[in-house]
Amino acid sequence: MAFTITCPVCGIRRGYEFRFGGEDKGPMPPEESLASETWCEYVHMNNCIAGIQKEWWFHRDGCGSWFTIYRDTTTNQQVENR
Amino acid sequence: MKRLNQLPTFRIQYGKELSVNFGQKRCRGLEGDTIASALYANDVRIFGRSLKYHRPRGLYSLDGECSNTMMAVDGIPNVRAENTPAVDGMNIKAQNVFGKTPDFDMMRFMDELSWAMPAGFYYQTLHKPSRIWPLAIKHIRKAAGLGILSPDFHMRGKFDESYISTDVCVIGGGPAGMCAALSAADQGLRVVLLENRPWLGGYFEYRPREYQKGVPLYQRARELAESVGHTPNIRTFKNTAMIGSYHNNLITAFQRGNKSDIFTERYLEIRAGSVVVATGCIERPLLFENNERPGVMQIGCAHRLARNWGLLPGKRAAFSVGHDLGLEAAIDLADLGLDIACVADIRQDSYDSNLAAELEKRNIPFLPGWVAIRAHGSKTVNAVTLSSINATRRRKLSCDTVVASAGMTPVTGPVILPGGKLTYDNHTGFFLPATIPPQMHVAGRLLGLDDPFAIETSGLLAGLKAAADCGKPVENNLKEMAKNQATLPGPTRGTKLVTGPVKGKETFICFDEDCTLKNINQAMHRGFDVPELIKRFTSAGTGPGQGGIPGHNLPMYVAETGESPDRNPKPTTVRPPLVPVYLATYAGSNHDMSKRTPMHDSQVKAGGKMERIGVWNRARRFSSDTSARKEIENVRNNVGLLDGSTLGKFRIFGSDALKALQRVYVSDMSKVAEGKVKYSAMCNEDGCLMDDGIVVKIDENDYYMTASTGRAGQTIEWIRYHTRYDGWNFHMVNLTDAYGVINMAGPNARKVLEKVTDADVSNEAFPFAGYREFLIQNMPVRAMRLGFVGELSYELHVLSSYMQSIWDLLEITGKEFGIQKFGLEAQNILRMEKGHVIIGSESEQRTTIHDLGLGFLWYRNKPEAKTVGAFALKDTEHQKGRLKLVGFKMKESGTRVPKDGSPLVDSRIRGYVCTARYSWALKEPIGMALVDDDLCGEGTTLNIYEDGCKGKLLSAKVVSMPFYDPDGKQMRC
Ligand SMILES: [Zn+2]
Repeated sequence: MAFTITCPVCGIRRGYEFRFGGEDKGPMPPEESLASETWCEYVHMNNCIAGIQKEWWFHRDGCGSWFTIYRDTTTNQQVENR
Repeated sequence: MKRLNQLPTFRIQYGKELSVNFGQKRCRGLEGDTIASALYANDVRIFGRSLKYHRPRGLYSLDGECSNTMMAVDGIPNVRAENTPAVDGMNIKAQNVFGKTPDFDMMRFMDELSWAMPAGFYYQTLHKPSRIWPLAIKHIRKAAGLGILSPDFHMRGKFDESYISTDVCVIGGGPAGMCAALSAADQGLRVVLLENRPWLGGYFEYRPREYQKGVPLYQRARELAESVGHTPNIRTFKNTAMIGSYHNNLITAFQRGNKSDIFTERYLEIRAGSVVVATGCIERPLLFENNERPGVMQIGCAHRLARNWGLLPGKRAAFSVGHDLGLEAAIDLADLGLDIACVADIRQDSYDSNLAAELEKRNIPFLPGWVAIRAHGSKTVNAVTLSSINATRRRKLSCDTVVASAGMTPVTGPVILPGGKLTYDNHTGFFLPATIPPQMHVAGRLLGLDDPFAIETSGLLAGLKAAADCGKPVENNLKEMAKNQATLPGPTRGTKLVTGPVKGKETFICFDEDCTLKNINQAMHRGFDVPELIKRFTSAGTGPGQGGIPGHNLPMYVAETGESPDRNPKPTTVRPPLVPVYLATYAGSNHDMSKRTPMHDSQVKAGGKMERIGVWNRARRFSSDTSARKEIENVRNNVGLLDGSTLGKFRIFGSDALKALQRVYVSDMSKVAEGKVKYSAMCNEDGCLMDDGIVVKIDENDYYMTASTGRAGQTIEWIRYHTRYDGWNFHMVNLTDAYGVINMAGPNARKVLEKVTDADVSNEAFPFAGYREFLIQNMPVRAMRLGFVGELSYELHVLSSYMQSIWDLLEITGKEFGIQKFGLEAQNILRMEKGHVIIGSESEQRTTIHDLGLGFLWYRNKPEAKTVGAFALKDTEHQKGRLKLVGFKMKESGTRVPKDGSPLVDSRIRGYVCTARYSWALKEPIGMALVDDDLCGEGTTLNIYEDGCKGKLLSAKVVSMPFYDPDGKQMRC
């Protein structure tokens, strides 16, 4: 509730306006020669860092863009890029 | 009882009378009364009974810090009588009373049984043997909990909410808070000021003591309040209790509405650049035997009763205090006509000798180094025993009021909640913030200040600090103000005594949970040595007051006994909400914002039975016949019109638009041909169906696409998410509300269309799966030949503003061909007869397009597109053990239609019915079900279990789909 996110387009806004898009895991690996395990690792597994993590957010009630932020998962606060 | 003559500090208005009902008793009050003061004026002393022991309880703090005065008001339980204005005609009931009035409680014997219920009683006693649980539960439930909520109670009132952004938020409207607000506002900042009481002024507001020559404190409070009122950039919320404080300077609070407000209560969420906490102090309870007997009250309670409401607390009062406020109150109350038996003071010396002299002048016995150890009287106080602190001497005095208070305790909740840490301060005896969250400042009495000028200056200083947080250049002002502060008196030395020489059996440390010192001793005896654990074991401080009463005394007492390994008192935590709040207030107003299609009004007028589906209002059917038979048959035989405007509609364009389509749709979207519609599906990474719809090519790199109704809100987000790493050049426009959709379906559809347009709409010129743009009487239309309901049909996408005109034109023109409206129920059955799925009805979270028989949509030869779900589609193509979609009919004719969602069983659950209805085309029940893959062979028996079928299963068999017109001739002709 107290969480705020700084959208690159709209600036600092209440966390309510955004949708979480998961950890930043990079683009999908190429489909050809992809092993099921690697696919599963990419799609379903998370690092669940206790600390600063790079993650995707969507400004649902705003400009409608996807962007990444760094968030300290232990304090639930956005932090400066490392 | 008779009220005092008019005083300048009154908050009641003589002449404006009201009355409230307390049980059978009619109580007369005045405008400005709280429920508590109105009842007190009518000699009500027992306001309720306590939770466990059913002890009588009465006024104590007058600020609602404990559950003593929680009452049922007009059916609402646990209303805080001390904080709620009395309203004419209110019906008030005492709580936790078994019997007619709180004066005679049939459960009062519980008090005599308290010896049988030591701390942790429930944990230890009632867990073995397990067979006593049902009986124990029944009786504990009956005895537990405060207040009764009738299951059919309907909460009335208007509950509003407000989300406020401000530069500075000041919590507490006392002198320090007002000064902070004024100094921040003076820097041109927007300030929000929150005050729990109905008026500003706090600690000064009711006191006649001199502020400076000729100016009493109450007058100073009014001057400050007036300045605040005249400052346009200070927004003041009175009657507003702070309930939460979070990081990033988020403050939550709720405001009780006045008569003139449009809300009953209003939830506030305030985001501030900087926060000033000027919450001041509450009194630290003095603990002695029967310290919660009605008649025992705190200094502020006794003093404010007289000064704000004109009520002397009793006839004869004994004081046992530890702060100069007590001496001051005794002098003032004596002058107002209260007989003061004596003033005992915990302090041997450090009291204000001027006040002591004033007491002497009035012949009031003053006993430094003495303390109350027992209140007497079975229902209300009739005497008190005082003792010297060293327990060598005792005196018993008769009195009907004991004004008791051990000292002060700061209200630090707003600092602790967002992560501030408290440490014990030996000088003040307070738990003071050692670390304060960023952009938060504290001011006033909360720091231990008592001198009026020091309090105001600390407020001014905090206001400047807040201004600095907001980027104002105030360095010099800050230096100046800090210099001023240094010349003024600092924090006062505070008392530390919690309790005089008492045994503790009836000495209550927590009123809400009926927890005594004896209980604390028992907990410590069992090895609990940390206040936080003792709190859990005894439940002291877990009641509605959230530690307001025991919060300071518990750790002090534990440290004093030396049981704790750490000699420094350790405070317990508090949690939001710091003040009890109605759930209705949290819920706020019900913003049920639904959408209407352009056809809404005319559909309603035509008798449409509207239903809420997702965000939309849609017509389920147009008659009271729930089977919608006429509408269905008319589509099959003549022609029908459906309002399909809820469909998601999007434009996607740009040089990389096709790449984006290839990413999210499973088909080969490069095959979208001009003049043709392409039907396809979107899957998630697991290959499960998320959405289906059509795509048409409007122009080069410019597409128009549809999404299912429930999905339209997420489509843009979905496509952007899955292309987030690519940096492609494409744009999307949500046209869902810009376009309406008319689905005209039935064998006569073409005859109607031909009559309203000059375009060639023959089967040759505009075949099945075709897309055309033409005019209907100069109104542009995007037309598609689709077959969702299985008949010749045209889906007309029309600008919303033209919808009604085109619809009306079709209806008038189609009259001779038997045109009629149809609704969702008819569409549902028509499409089911065709075996067409609706996402969410025939699919669930784990249903892939293979499971639905839609695998043909998937184009596997575009790996470079990285189609979402493609990898999983490959993996699950031949996977065993999946639920597959099948059609079924009932085995025996005449069997009724099974209910949607009924499970399919043999020795275990094997699937479930998705949709089943009576088909008028086939003259028998048909349905679709998701079943284990080994059951999907044609002819397999499915046993359907329905709720309440008592073991009588319905029997169905798997059949091929579509049920109706399997060759699709009807929609292609
Ligand atoms: Zn944005």
